[in-house]
Amino acid sequence: MNAAREGRVVLALGRRSLSVQFRRAQLLMPTFVLPLMLLAVIASGTSAAQDLREFPDVASYLAFIVPGTIIQGALLAGLTSGAALAADIEFGFFDRLLAAPVRRTSLVIGRQAGTLGLSVLQTVFFLLVALVFGARFPGGVDAALATIVLAGITAVGLGGIAAAIALRTGSLALLQSIFPFVFVLLFTAPAFFPRELLTPVLRDAAVYNPLTYVVEAVRGLLAGDSALGDPWVGLAAALGLAIATTALATFALAQRLRSL
Amino acid sequence: MSVPQSSAPAVEVRELVREYKGGIRAVDGLDLDVAPGEIYGFLGPNGAGKTTLVRILTTLLRPTSGTARVAGHDVVAHADAVRRSIGVALQEAAIDPLMTGRELLRMQGALHGLRGSAAQERAVSLLERVGLTQAADRRVGGYSGGMRRRLDLALALVHRPNVLFLDEPTTGLDPTSRGALWREVRSLNDEGTTVFLTTQYLEEAEQLADRVGIIAAGRLVAEGTPDVLKARIGEPMLHVELAEADSAGRAREALGGLGKVEPADPGAPTRVVLRTAAGKGAIAPVIRALDEHGVVVESVEVETPTLDDVFAAVTGSHLEGAGAVEAAA
Repeated sequence: MNAAREGRVVLALGRRSLSVQFRRAQLLMPTFVLPLMLLAVIASGTSAAQDLREFPDVASYLAFIVPGTIIQGALLAGLTSGAALAADIEFGFFDRLLAAPVRRTSLVIGRQAGTLGLSVLQTVFFLLVALVFGARFPGGVDAALATIVLAGITAVGLGGIAAAIALRTGSLALLQSIFPFVFVLLFTAPAFFPRELLTPVLRDAAVYNPLTYVVEAVRGLLAGDSALGDPWVGLAAALGLAIATTALATFALAQRLRSL
Repeated sequence: MSVPQSSAPAVEVRELVREYKGGIRAVDGLDLDVAPGEIYGFLGPNGAGKTTLVRILTTLLRPTSGTARVAGHDVVAHADAVRRSIGVALQEAAIDPLMTGRELLRMQGALHGLRGSAAQERAVSLLERVGLTQAADRRVGGYSGGMRRRLDLALALVHRPNVLFLDEPTTGLDPTSRGALWREVRSLNDEGTTVFLTTQYLEEAEQLADRVGIIAAGRLVAEGTPDVLKARIGEPMLHVELAEADSAGRAREALGGLGKVEPADPGAPTRVVLRTAAGKGAIAPVIRALDEHGVVVESVEVETPTLDDVFAAVTGSHLEGAGAVEAAA
């Protein structure tokens, strides 16, 4: 098996994963609509927070919280990708893939490629919607592109966790039941408020949440202000998460195959 | 059956055991050989171990002990080589309902190393072959059961496999769809593809298979061509109904040279039963012999052993699907 051939396999699986996502209305709701709904609620309900003394000096509250929406999108892209994998296992489609002469790791990476593609589309969509509603991003186009990359890597990282759970359990119901935990991860990171305004407990938790560094990096990039977040720290956190969880998912697949 | 391609078995199974948690042995010491170019029908009721064996042979399940080789490759040690040689259509076609037939075929092509244009061309030719050209760009969720099975078969053929595994390919299909699938399987076999087919339909095994293996409780309890298996449990019987009971003695005497005459049944004084390997071919000689002895015949019926009789003889029970598919061929 050569790399070019495996590349084609990954592309084919990624394309399939992405196209199916857009044909399932129940998956579009959490990945595209829900983050925007939460953005609208938070933007209209808590914008007074911008007047607090600890709140950083930013152009607009909407632009400040858009990185939270982008990371929420990445979380949900990862989770729905894991759920789709669990469905493949539960309904037998995964057997079709296992019966093909491809590297087992390509099956995991192909799924992750779909997650990456989904995240790119989500992030572009969220940024455009935010622009339409008046958000301004002083970081410019370069910052937007870097944000898309960061969000994509983060989605792959979160998709790796979901894929590992799917491969370990093969249970769609379990993946669906962990949906609320997405919000635990999101709200233990400074997604919608600066770290300084979090309660001490949340602030301590945020230190250990890799999403903290990603969301702050995106905020710093879009605002063109590295004081809000270091892009390189964010990239390191996202890459670390992606590599670790993809390895975890690959390990879960190997375990699954050994137990057959 | 087409001409065998080589002397090495397409499928070779030795003392194969697969034990599940709780000590349940789905496959229990199985030995099996399938020749290249053969259609092998694996017959058994639900839970007999058919699907477990197919999953082992297609590398989707590991055996607990024993060995299995497909197309000359060990299913555990050289699983990837096995996967390159086989096509698989599993029970309850696992096809993503949100994808179109064409998309699935192109994806399957990529999984088997076909490049974009080659995968596209192969998809077009296979869609035509299984009669799905018109439905190629419709989502599979809208396909009928028969269309799904045909697509599943096409997916299994993308890389022109040497050995094709079909796990209960016609379960749940209407007679027309079943007949169409049978014709396609025969056609593939004529082109040289070895077919390993599991079924719980006796007629499917009889119509398609060169040889039949009967599995019960994980063990191979009988194996052979359908004719050999049926002959093994007894010769066909001719039931001769006479016009008058008092001619029965003369009839027995007349038929003695044509086969084995069964003892008289006091409950049916006008009936004489003759066992003969000639089956239907014995009808004319029987009529002639009885006529020469002045015996008037009301009717003659031939009773041939069926695979269900064979199944009942070797397992002690009948298959649930027996006789369910008469109209299909």
